[in-house]
Amino acid sequence: MKRRIHLELPDSAQAIVVGAGIIGCAIAREITRYTPDVLVLEKENDVACGASKANNAEVHSGIGEEAGTLKQKLNVRGNRMYDEFVKGLGVDFKRQGLLIVVTPRSILPQVAEKMSPEELDDLLRVNIPRGIVAYGEAAGIEGLRILTREEVLEREPNVTPEVVSGVFDPNYGLVCPYKLTIALAEHAVMNGARIFCNTEVVGIRVVDGAVKGVITNRGEISTSLVVNAAGVFADEVADMAGAGGFRIHPRKGATLLFDRQVTSEYVRSSVALFRMPGMKKERSKGGGAMPTVEGNLQLGPTAVEVDDKYDTSVSAEEIEEIFERFHYLFPNFPKDAVISAFSGVRAPTHEEDFIIEPSDRVRGFVNVAGIQSPGLASAPAIVEMVMGFLHELGIPREPRPDFKSLRPATPRFAELDDKERNRLIKMDPRWGNIVCRCEYVTEAEVLAAIHSLVPARDMDGVKRRTRTGMGRCQGGFCGHRVAGILARELGVPVTEVTKSGEGSPIYLAETKGFLRTERARHGQG
Amino acid sequence: MAKVRKPELVVIGAGPAGLGAALAACEAGLKDVMIVERDVELGGILPQCIHDGFGSMVFGETLTGPQYAQRYVDRVEGSDIEVKLNTMVLDLRADRSLTAVNSRDGVMEIKPKAVVLAMGCRERTRHQILIPGYRPAGVICAGAAQRDINIEGLMPGRRVVILGSGDIGLIMARRFALEGAEVEGVYEIMDHPGGLTRNLVQCLYDYDIPLHLSHTVTFIHGRKRVEAVTVSRVNDNLKPVPGTERLVLCDALVLSVGLIPENELSKRAGVLLDPATGGPVVDENMETSVEGIFACGNVVNVFDLVDYVTHTAEIAGRAAAEYVLGRKERKGEALRLRPGRNVRFVVPQLLSGSEKEVYFYFRVSRPERAVRAQLVTDGTPLAARKVRMVRPPEMVRLRADPERLKEALSRGDLTVEVLPEDKESERGPEQRMGKG
Repeated sequence: MKRRIHLELPDSAQAIVVGAGIIGCAIAREITRYTPDVLVLEKENDVACGASKANNAEVHSGIGEEAGTLKQKLNVRGNRMYDEFVKGLGVDFKRQGLLIVVTPRSILPQVAEKMSPEELDDLLRVNIPRGIVAYGEAAGIEGLRILTREEVLEREPNVTPEVVSGVFDPNYGLVCPYKLTIALAEHAVMNGARIFCNTEVVGIRVVDGAVKGVITNRGEISTSLVVNAAGVFADEVADMAGAGGFRIHPRKGATLLFDRQVTSEYVRSSVALFRMPGMKKERSKGGGAMPTVEGNLQLGPTAVEVDDKYDTSVSAEEIEEIFERFHYLFPNFPKDAVISAFSGVRAPTHEEDFIIEPSDRVRGFVNVAGIQSPGLASAPAIVEMVMGFLHELGIPREPRPDFKSLRPATPRFAELDDKERNRLIKMDPRWGNIVCRCEYVTEAEVLAAIHSLVPARDMDGVKRRTRTGMGRCQGGFCGHRVAGILARELGVPVTEVTKSGEGSPIYLAETKGFLRTERARHGQG
Repeated sequence: MAKVRKPELVVIGAGPAGLGAALAACEAGLKDVMIVERDVELGGILPQCIHDGFGSMVFGETLTGPQYAQRYVDRVEGSDIEVKLNTMVLDLRADRSLTAVNSRDGVMEIKPKAVVLAMGCRERTRHQILIPGYRPAGVICAGAAQRDINIEGLMPGRRVVILGSGDIGLIMARRFALEGAEVEGVYEIMDHPGGLTRNLVQCLYDYDIPLHLSHTVTFIHGRKRVEAVTVSRVNDNLKPVPGTERLVLCDALVLSVGLIPENELSKRAGVLLDPATGGPVVDENMETSVEGIFACGNVVNVFDLVDYVTHTAEIAGRAAAEYVLGRKERKGEALRLRPGRNVRFVVPQLLSGSEKEVYFYFRVSRPERAVRAQLVTDGTPLAARKVRMVRPPEMVRLRADPERLKEALSRGDLTVEVLPEDKESERGPEQRMGKG
């Protein structure tokens, strides 16, 4: 565990990115196309530990965004750039599309009451879908299609029979957000970047209105270029430099995740209920049902304002709200197949828009803040925009000839054919040792995760990279095995293995350990 | 690596069910039996069950889990049964062919004549009961905790709250206490304990561990490691009552909130499952809806005694052997048992008329005192037992003669029911029915 995190910090770097979420890692990767001399500083024990690990994995098209916002602009552009963005990373990306469903509950009851049945039908069947398409097209979203009730039900037979019409948006995509973040981080490291976890930024040294260095809990690094991609903490990091002035108010979103064996065919695309503007209580696109890349059904997310930026709890009210909401949209959804509930903390500003700009007060400090949904979808366009500033601030414009464009991904046993499986087992028998029974993860995959360029150092790190413990038993069978492998590979006692870094040990002692200390205490007394 | 193996029988799982079935099949005349086990050793969950209480019905003495397992392990090791440890079955198909993998053989195609499903069960997790809160280290299922302590030699908690008073929860309360951990209490959402009475006495009362009925955990605190849980009283609908919350400091939450038969492979093979048991629908030969695929033990239904598991395993093993040796012809339409008054489910669910004595296992829906458990056809009792007290956690077993069952088959009706025992019938159906 200790081995890699105590690597010496360098004295200086050309650029430092604060925060190893998807945005930070994507920016670092992009910087390495021009210069290898970039550091990423992350206070947690791994990359992708904030919102990047706990969102709905959706690459939105931008149709849910407010017209004229930076969010909408970058979302629409980012979505188009996605295939190129993930190319060579070995990460699955697919466009499953979004089905926007129009039902009588899409409008306020008091509005419906005032209409004749014909008018109401006309509104739900014709005008709303047309309106959605017109809105999307105005934002530059292509390929939107109006569907009749029958077409909706044919596409998504589990949707409520109350559906009147729908709009299909083929641009929506799915990507595993933490796998993408890890892949971007590794790709950056392959090309010279260095990532330091458990490294918390506590100050930014600014001299004469320009960035001179970053002060961390582990020492100071001099640099003239800082990219603030600190997620929910971006306001605090900006303040350290005197480049702030905005506030992030954390807003959490909870999602229920279902067993993929039960739900892999429950929805084909993402599905969301259309609600007239003004109907939403919370500030979120309203969530929906969507598959993951792996085929688990997800329902959510909620949107709850919280005080604590670390509040990733899921409340009973949220669970109830999700059940209630989706019981309408999917009358038969498989309640009993829930395997997990998780929550992520979004990082909105009061303006609810992205803040992507170089500070006008501190030269060399670039804010990339307020990145909440659709941050995952906008990432490629955000990176592009940030690079524009970074080139102005000294990152070379000439691409490196030695940039490696392919990041090799570890194969997944579960997805291979038997011939390939046997080839690997012949090469290394540990490919035949299944560690995680639910997700068919082999020892070889766990080893690869622990010894990768951005290595897994804890149980959650192995889980995000390999899916151990992500199945229906949630680690009941494989937990001790993974802990044992981590301990062996990292050369530490298993009691030092953690779930997610310091303060999260899996085991508190060896057996008889408590009795020994008890006896010792009595002996002393 | 790609050679296809064609044993007579493959048993999936080497717990008490798998071992019992494989041995019974050999005794019934099979020569080429293979056990496929994903763990590193034989015995299933028994090696970690170091408490005693196993085997009083099968062996007439009480053994510890490892002792009980060892009796079967010794016999398997002294037999010609081929054992594949560390081997995971990846797929099972309706034609009974299966794909398995291990480090030594690689991916194997196996085409046996018959299959016995003996995969056991797994534990329900916090998310399946949707406990709100954070997701820190220290939330662990009771069986996993048992393995940690008894096999791995590691303590997953020091100040422990246990949710669920099922047997594993109770046994783990004692186990934690014996290891010097502090068990703050056992919380049970129902208004009655979930485990066997003897476990309540021996695991909680003897160790002064409080049991809080009609309580549940309503929030898990702690971002990195469990720091506390909120517990609340629940109302008659099992919903938490606002205002009854209490914060309990602890570093681990141990869950004993139910077991689920592990039927992912059964589903792949298209085996019909009973929603009430979560396991395959079986007939008195423990044969599933897919011909030549048998099932036994906790994969069929979570039994509360290993002796019952062994009993079903022996039936499945023998029947599988008979099937392979061509002695058994599958009857056409089987008779479906009806769960009657205060009966939640019955195993086996079907009767196909194989002219053997049959033991029916069933659970009641609610506790009831002084009852008569009986098997009836068209209102006529075929077999009955007086029971002083029935409780949902304690399975009831009823034996029926082949002669009697023939009667039911001819009438096309068989119901299992639990009736209040009244004075009148106290002379008893047994007497009325004679000794048959």
